[in-house]
Amino acid sequence: MNPVSQHHPAAEPLIALREVSRSYPSPAGEFNALSGINLTIARGEFVAVVGQSGSGKSTLLNLLAGIDRPSSGEIIVDRQALHALSERALSTWRGHAVGIVFQFFQLLPTLTAIENVMLPMDFGKRWPARERRPRALALLERLGVADQADKLPAALSGGQQQRVAVARALANSPALLLADEPTGNLDSHTAQGLLDVLAGLVGEGQTILMVTHERAAIRQTTRTLTLADGRIVDGKAFAHA
Amino acid sequence: MLDARWRKMLRDVWLHKSRSLLVVLAIAIGMVAAGALLDAWALVQRVTAETYRASHPVSATLKLDVVDAALLAQVRALPDIAAVRARRSVLAAVQSDGTRRTGVLYAYDDFERQNIGRLQSEHGTWPPRDDGIVIEQSSLEFSAANVGEPVTLQVGKSAPVAVSVTGVARDVGLAPGWMEHIVYAFATPATLARLGVPDSFNELQFVVRDTALDRDAVRRIAYEVKALIERGGQHVANVDVPVPGQHMHAAQMDSLMLTQGAFGLLTLLVCAFLVVNLITAMLAGQTREIGVMKAIGARPNQIVGMYLGMALLLGLLASMLALPAAMVIGRQYAALKAEMLNFPLAGHAIPWWAIALQLAVGVLLPVAAAAIPVLRACRLSVQAALCDPGIAAAHGGFHLRRQIAIGGLGRPLALSINNAFRRRQRMLLTLLALAAGGAVFLGAANLRNAVRGSVDLLFSSQHYDVLLRLSEPRSVDAIETTARAVDGVERAEAWAGGSASIAHAGGTLSNAFALVALPADSTMVQPALEAGRWLDRSDRSGSDRGGSDRGDLVISRSLGKDEPALAPGMQTTLVVDGRETHWNIVGIVDSGPQALAFVSRRAFAALRGDDRASTLVVATTAHTAAGQLDTILRLRGELERAGMPVASSQLLSETRRVLDDHLLMVVDFLGIMAWVMIAVGGMGLASTMSLAVLERTREIGVMRAIGARHGAIMALIQIEGLVIAVLGWLVSLPLSIPMSAALASAFGRVMFAVPTRYLPDAAGALGWLVMIVCVSLLACALPALRATRIPTAVALNYQ
Repeated sequence: MNPVSQHHPAAEPLIALREVSRSYPSPAGEFNALSGINLTIARGEFVAVVGQSGSGKSTLLNLLAGIDRPSSGEIIVDRQALHALSERALSTWRGHAVGIVFQFFQLLPTLTAIENVMLPMDFGKRWPARERRPRALALLERLGVADQADKLPAALSGGQQQRVAVARALANSPALLLADEPTGNLDSHTAQGLLDVLAGLVGEGQTILMVTHERAAIRQTTRTLTLADGRIVDGKAFAHA
Repeated sequence: MLDARWRKMLRDVWLHKSRSLLVVLAIAIGMVAAGALLDAWALVQRVTAETYRASHPVSATLKLDVVDAALLAQVRALPDIAAVRARRSVLAAVQSDGTRRTGVLYAYDDFERQNIGRLQSEHGTWPPRDDGIVIEQSSLEFSAANVGEPVTLQVGKSAPVAVSVTGVARDVGLAPGWMEHIVYAFATPATLARLGVPDSFNELQFVVRDTALDRDAVRRIAYEVKALIERGGQHVANVDVPVPGQHMHAAQMDSLMLTQGAFGLLTLLVCAFLVVNLITAMLAGQTREIGVMKAIGARPNQIVGMYLGMALLLGLLASMLALPAAMVIGRQYAALKAEMLNFPLAGHAIPWWAIALQLAVGVLLPVAAAAIPVLRACRLSVQAALCDPGIAAAHGGFHLRRQIAIGGLGRPLALSINNAFRRRQRMLLTLLALAAGGAVFLGAANLRNAVRGSVDLLFSSQHYDVLLRLSEPRSVDAIETTARAVDGVERAEAWAGGSASIAHAGGTLSNAFALVALPADSTMVQPALEAGRWLDRSDRSGSDRGGSDRGDLVISRSLGKDEPALAPGMQTTLVVDGRETHWNIVGIVDSGPQALAFVSRRAFAALRGDDRASTLVVATTAHTAAGQLDTILRLRGELERAGMPVASSQLLSETRRVLDDHLLMVVDFLGIMAWVMIAVGGMGLASTMSLAVLERTREIGVMRAIGARHGAIMALIQIEGLVIAVLGWLVSLPLSIPMSAALASAFGRVMFAVPTRYLPDAAGALGWLVMIVCVSLLACALPALRATRIPTAVALNYQ
C-alpha cells in the first residue's frame, strides 16, 4: 500500500497543534525552543521533522509524546488534549496512544528482546497476560527479528536493536509512532532496512513522525516539516513515486 | 509467569550482585545485632511472666519467734491475703569435695504448696526426705555435690552431720547460688533438728490477693500482719517486702537489656545509612531506564512499585539470613540472662511478635531507605531522566581549581580531597556511620577505664587478703589472738555486724543491708570518702564525747542511693536483730555496688551488750593465691581447734576476679557492639568507594590515558577513603562525649555509678585513629584494585 494514498488532509487530523510555544529559562534569559507552532497531521502520514541543531525538533517530539508540556497553546493528539492532562494521566495516555523510538535504542539491558517488547504491555495492561508473549513474538516477526527474541540487547547488532525498539514502540498499538533520529546510529544499509520497515508500517495505516537528518529518510516520508529557531519554516507534503 | 518488569528487577539485582549482596549484608548485620537483643529480651520477658509470676512469688516475709498452724490460719483469714506459709532458714556450712561453703537451708511447712513461692523439682526426689536435702539447681555446680552422694552440714558449733543429696529443685524466687556464692538447699524440719536447729518455723511468708498492688501497698498489708502477730504477744524482728512481681535482678537485667537494645537499634540505624547510600547509588544508575520506562507508558506508581518491590526483595533475603542467626544468638544470650535470674529457658519459645517485628523491620527498612530516592527518581520528568548521564554524574563538591590553589598540596592529593566531597550526602552518611561506631568505641573505652578505676579504688581501700566467716559469733579477743598466732598471718581483725534495716517514720522498715562493725582505727579497710568523715578513730562512743548515746554511722553510696533521704549530719534509727539502735550519720563512702553501713566495733558492742564477732579479715605474709590458701587452711585448723569453726572463707583476689568478670562483661558487650558498628561503617566506606570508582570510570580512563600508573590510581582511591575516614574520626571525638555520658549513666543504673571521664583520652583517640585508618585501607583495597583493572579503552567509553 502506498503511504501517500493514506494521506487525507480533509479527514479529522490525528495531531493538531494551536499556537504552541515552549520556552526554557536560561542564564541568558528565556530561551524559546518553539514559538507559535500551528500544525495538523492526519492519520497515516509519515512526517519527517528536519532542522538544524537547536531548531526545536526534539522539543516538538517531546511535546507530542507527552513527555514535555507547552508553555502556551494547545496540543491535541488522537482527540486527547495533552496540555490539559495531569502527569499521571499523561503516563497512562502515553502507554497506549504513542510509541517512541530513540536514536540510541534505549532497550533495557537486563531484559531479552521479547521481554523488552512485552514490558509496555505489562505497564499498559491492554492485553491479558497470556496474550502478551505471542503478540510480542508477532511484532518481532513482523520486524524480522523473531529469531533474536530471547537474546539480551548486548548480543544484538545496532539494526536488530532498533527493530526491537520499533517492535516495543508498537507493543500497545499506538495511534502515533514517534522516532527520534532512528537511523542516526546505524550504517546506511541497516538504516535503509529500518526505513523500509517504517514505510511498511505507514502503508498499513500507522502514523509516524520522525526527527531526522538523513536525506534518504526524508525521501521515504510523505511530508517534511522544516524547523528553524522554533518555527515551522516549511511544511510541504510529497507524493513519492 | 512473572511480568517482564519483575524479571527486570530480579535481573538488576543479579547484575549488581556485589552491591545487592552488600545491601543484604548491611541489613542482615543490623538485624542480627538488634534482633538478637530483641529476641533475648522478649524471651526473658516471656519466661519472667510464665515462670516467675506463675510461681506466685512471696509478697512479704516476716521474721518472728514461732509460726504455728493457728497463726497461719489467722493470717490466711485476712481479706488481703491469698496464701501463707511457714519457713525456717538456717545458715550452715556445706562441705563436699573437701571444700566448705556457705549454705542456706530452707524448711517449709508444706513443700508442695502451689499458690506461694512454688518450687519445682528438677530431678531426684521431691519433696525432701528426712534423711537428705534437695539442692537448689543454681547452687548445684557451686556446691560440688552430686545427687545420691552425701554432703556434710554443720550449723553453728553443732556436730557436722552427713546427709544425702536426694534431688535438685528450682526456686525462681532465689538469686542464683553460683552468683551469690551460696549453696541453697531444702530440708525438712526433722533434718534441721539433726543439725541442732529447732524443728519449728520462725518466718511467715504470704502472697497478697491483689497482685497489682505496689510495694507500699504490700508493705501496709505486711504491717497489718505484723500488728496482728504482735497483738498475739510475739515480737516481729524483721519485715521484708520485695518489689511486687519483680525478680530481685530483673530491674538490672531490664536496664541492661534496654541499654544494649538501644545500641542494637543504633547499629540498625547505621546499617540503614548504608542501605540508603547503596540504594541511592543503585537508582542513580537506573535513572535513564526509569525515563525509558516512563516514555513507553509506565505510570509513576508502577515504577515506584517496581523499585520498592526490589527493596522489599532485598529485605526479605536479608531477613532470611538474619532471623535464624538472631534467634540462635538471642536464645544463647537469653539463656545467659535466664541463668542470672535463675529461670529455666527450656520449653519456652521466642514470642512470635518479636520475630514478626524483626521481619517487618527487615522488610520495611530497605523499603523506607529506598522510598525517598525512588520517589525522587520517579518525579524526574521523562525528558530529564532520559538526559541523565547516569551513574557517571558527579555534582557538587569543592571546585578543583580552588583545591589546587591550596599551597603545598600536590595535585593528586588535591584531587583525592576534592573527590571525597563530590557526593556530599553519601560522604556524610558514610562518615556518620564510621563516627557512630567510633563514638561507641571511645565511650566503651572510657567506661572500661572508669570501671577498672572504680574496682581498683574499691580494692585499694581493702588491705586484707582473706575473709573468713565463723559458724557462730565469738569473742573478738579470742578470734584475733588465735588468728594472729597462725603462721603466715601478718595482721588480723575481727568484725562484728549483721543484717540491719532503717526504721522509717510511719513504722515501716527499709530492705535489709549489711552492717559492718569494725575497729574504728581499722587498717584493713579505708574506703574512699564521698562526703562527711570516716568513723572517729579514737573510737569513743557518743556519750564519751559528751554527746548523746548515738554512735557514728558511715553509709555506702549504694545505700545512699537506695535511701536518698540519708545524709551526713542526720540521725537515723536502725533495726538490728530486732532491736532499734540510734546513730548519727557522719559520712558517705564509696564501697562498691553493695548497700552497707559501717559502725565502730566498740559502739556496736556497747549497743548490743557483747563484743562477739563472726567475721575475720586477715592480711597474710603470702603474696600468691596458693600461699594465701595455705594460710586459710592453717587458720581453719587453729580456729576449729579453739572451738571456732569456720563456715566459709574467701580470697580477696578471687572476689575481685568475680566482680571484674561481672562488670566487664557489660562493658565488653558494648565493645562488641562498637566493633559491629565499625564493621558496618567499613562496609559503608567500601560501598561508597566502589560507587566512586564506578562513577569515575571515564575519569580514571582519562588519567590512565595521560600517564597515571596503577600505584597513582590506587593511591587516589585510598587517599579519598582516608579523607572520609579521618573526617569520621574527627566527628567521632566530640560525638564520644555524649556517648560516654550515656554509657556511664546506663552503667550506673545497671551496676553502680562510676566516675567516668567523658573526654576521650589521647591513647584511646590515637588507637581509634590507627584502627579507622586500617579499616579505611581495607575497605578501599578492593575498589582501588578494581579501578586499576578497567581497560583504558573501556573506561574512556564508559557512560
